[in-house]
Amino acid sequence: MKNRLKVLRAEHDWSQAELAGRLDVSRQAVNAIETGKHDPSLPLAFRIARLFDMTIEEIFQDGETQ
Amino acid sequence: MNTQTDIGPGEARMKARRRREIITYVFASLLGGGIGIILSVADQGDGSLFLGEWEEMVLDPTIAVILATTLLLSLIALPLWAFTVTDELVLKRNLIGYTGGSMAVMGGVPAWAVLHAGGLAPEPTAQGAWAIGFFVTMIAFAFAWISSR
Repeated sequence: MKNRLKVLRAEHDWSQAELAGRLDVSRQAVNAIETGKHDPSLPLAFRIARLFDMTIEEIFQDGETQ
Repeated sequence: MNTQTDIGPGEARMKARRRREIITYVFASLLGGGIGIILSVADQGDGSLFLGEWEEMVLDPTIAVILATTLLLSLIALPLWAFTVTDELVLKRNLIGYTGGSMAVMGGVPAWAVLHAGGLAPEPTAQGAWAIGFFVTMIAFAFAWISSR
């Protein structure tokens, strides 16, 4: 699953650790999501969307979306 | 006003998470060290828990109950508690590890038994079953860790 997490994090000038703390997950989890090696659970995807004031679909693309 | 030493609220939470992890590791190490020290002092036989020489171990019943409780706490209760406070990536890695280990025992021991019946392997032992569970758990965890980092 593709996502814009790394770009959004850079726009806020946050480190992976800063974003991880704001989401209450480990830094490794943020890294794994950014590199596409871990798909977040639905509750975590909602937390990410709320943090950036966006919808989940604006951040995550499942690869089938045009 | 931000200075070089200021950290954001997220990084402050990360540091707190790291502190909790370190406390957990220290507590687990103390439990493990305590088990080793008690065994070295209290074992009246010539066996060894860690080398699988269980038949030669002789323990006072009270000490045995204390050790059994401590082992159950450190090998079952502590990991289960850790599952409730860790994040979903670490939880996934741990679940893959423990699932690999338990499936290896459930499938590996009967396979070992039939190989023994066919004269191709020594008789299955409890120590061997434990070793299969432990090492396959470690291998499965390492696989999960490498594939998600």
